Amino acid sequence: MKIEIQNLEHTYPTGEKALDGVSFTLDNNERVAIIGQNGAGKTTIVKHFNGILRPTAGKVLLDGVDIEAKSTPEWSARVGYVYQNPDDQLFLDSVRDEFQFGAKQIGMQTGRIEQLLVEVAELVGLSDKLDVNPFDLTQTEKKFCAIGSIVMMDPEVLIFDEPTMGQDVVGNDRLAHIIDVLHDQGKMCVTISHDMKFVVRCFDRVIVMCHGHKLLDGPTREVFSQVDTLKESFVVPPPITRIGQALGFEKTVLTLDELVEEFSKERAK
Amino acid sequence: MAEEVIRVEDFSFKYRQTKKYALKHLDFAIKKGEFVCVIGQNGSGKSTLASALVGLVPQYFVGNLHGRILIEGHDTQHTSISELSTMIGLVFQNPFNQLSYTAGTVAEELAYGLCNHGVPREEMVERVDRIARIMRIDHIIDKNPLELSGGQVQRVALGSSLIMEPEIVVLDECTTQLDPMGSEEIFDIVKNLNADGMTVVMADHDMERVARCADCVIVLDRGEIVAQGSPNEVFSQPDLREHGVEPPDFLKIALALKEAGVKVDRLPVTEEPTIELVKEAIHS
Repeated sequence: MKIEIQNLEHTYPTGEKALDGVSFTLDNNERVAIIGQNGAGKTTIVKHFNGILRPTAGKVLLDGVDIEAKSTPEWSARVGYVYQNPDDQLFLDSVRDEFQFGAKQIGMQTGRIEQLLVEVAELVGLSDKLDVNPFDLTQTEKKFCAIGSIVMMDPEVLIFDEPTMGQDVVGNDRLAHIIDVLHDQGKMCVTISHDMKFVVRCFDRVIVMCHGHKLLDGPTREVFSQVDTLKESFVVPPPITRIGQALGFEKTVLTLDELVEEFSKERAK
Repeated sequence: MAEEVIRVEDFSFKYRQTKKYALKHLDFAIKKGEFVCVIGQNGSGKSTLASALVGLVPQYFVGNLHGRILIEGHDTQHTSISELSTMIGLVFQNPFNQLSYTAGTVAEELAYGLCNHGVPREEMVERVDRIARIMRIDHIIDKNPLELSGGQVQRVALGSSLIMEPEIVVLDECTTQLDPMGSEEIFDIVKNLNADGMTVVMADHDMERVARCADCVIVLDRGEIVAQGSPNEVFSQPDLREHGVEPPDFLKIALALKEAGVKVDRLPVTEEPTIELVKEAIHS
């Protein structure tokens, strides 16, 4: 799917202008992280991707079709949004029901639902919890249940709002694996995150938001090399990148291997 | 030697509704003014330990208990929560669990604990004003706590605990809803109070921050202490990942250089010393 955001503005009924003329295009199976401070407009913008929010000015086009042409439930079959707080999303009596609900709503065939259920439960690590009430899950499991219920709808685009919040090492590894698998299936993965280690690990493109504007947009490495602009938006690059920058390495390093490689070059000089 | 303010003696606890013990044979002491970080994967017992330190386990969350916990010499099983709350404050992981749900404004929420302890009105007003400024919530002081963003509620939750001026504060992943700058601000506040002598026990997943803040790190895995010591001692243990914990990225840098055949005489866990180490290595 192609998501085109054109001069998007959003003013809430309270009069607060959350987005003030934002434009960008997301394509096919890109992996994109939207970062920036609280209140920068990150959540407001992604809620326009499936029509949860509608533009107060400007346009949102999905595969060339104006978002206004269809209802939110119709778009949600193609663009899934995983809430930041799973308690805002989960409401049924078992993990199985949560997984089946959205898929049934969009008219997915029963056979397909049953097949997906097994795959998705395995992917999110809840195969042995299908008959458990979501309220008896740990906070981590609830997050994976919320992710699973959206993956079940087999959308073309998945939006993860702060998925690493409260996650431990195991949870982060699983999340990275889920994004890998979805990417390989050709899906677009979008995240909103404050976790720069996660952004570097899983996303190729970064959009930096600040006060309702787009401040930076580009490949992850390029964006994290713009140290001064990042400061403006109070974004701090991840630890390994910061060390490379403090040492004045020519290349902006994102991984340990890159850091060691640049180190060797410096040493050889 | 600084006095001991927390003593945990062979402490085990099992919730009534579960089969397994959430905490097993914990044994440690914390001295006045120490900054202690408790780390471990989700489900390792961090939150249960936090609840046990303030007496909510077993007074509110009942179950089987062995051993004891002393807070400034008072046994948490035999001292009322109200009395304990003047010595030790807890800030919950979910700030919405902290709200009184009786206060109409942030000011009333902050004053709630002071009211319960019968603090005179004038002093109460003065303390509310002061803590609101420190927590940077003075601009929302007349708002309803339920209308605030998650990050703002976390500031209110921490404020309503710190306003009691406890000797010890227990922070259970209390900045998850804040953005990086907001949580750094909160940690600066806590670090300053710690420098003034407040004892801090903090559960957190951000290992770079733990390495920077902690005098002592306790690693929990399935309810047991599997490592304990200075950040350097704990994070350089090779089997850490088996316990669901990863060292800070800074330490990984030193280890990666070592692996690449570079002579490394120390394993720093924080930013500045890592920069120094790599600089030295480049020129060696």
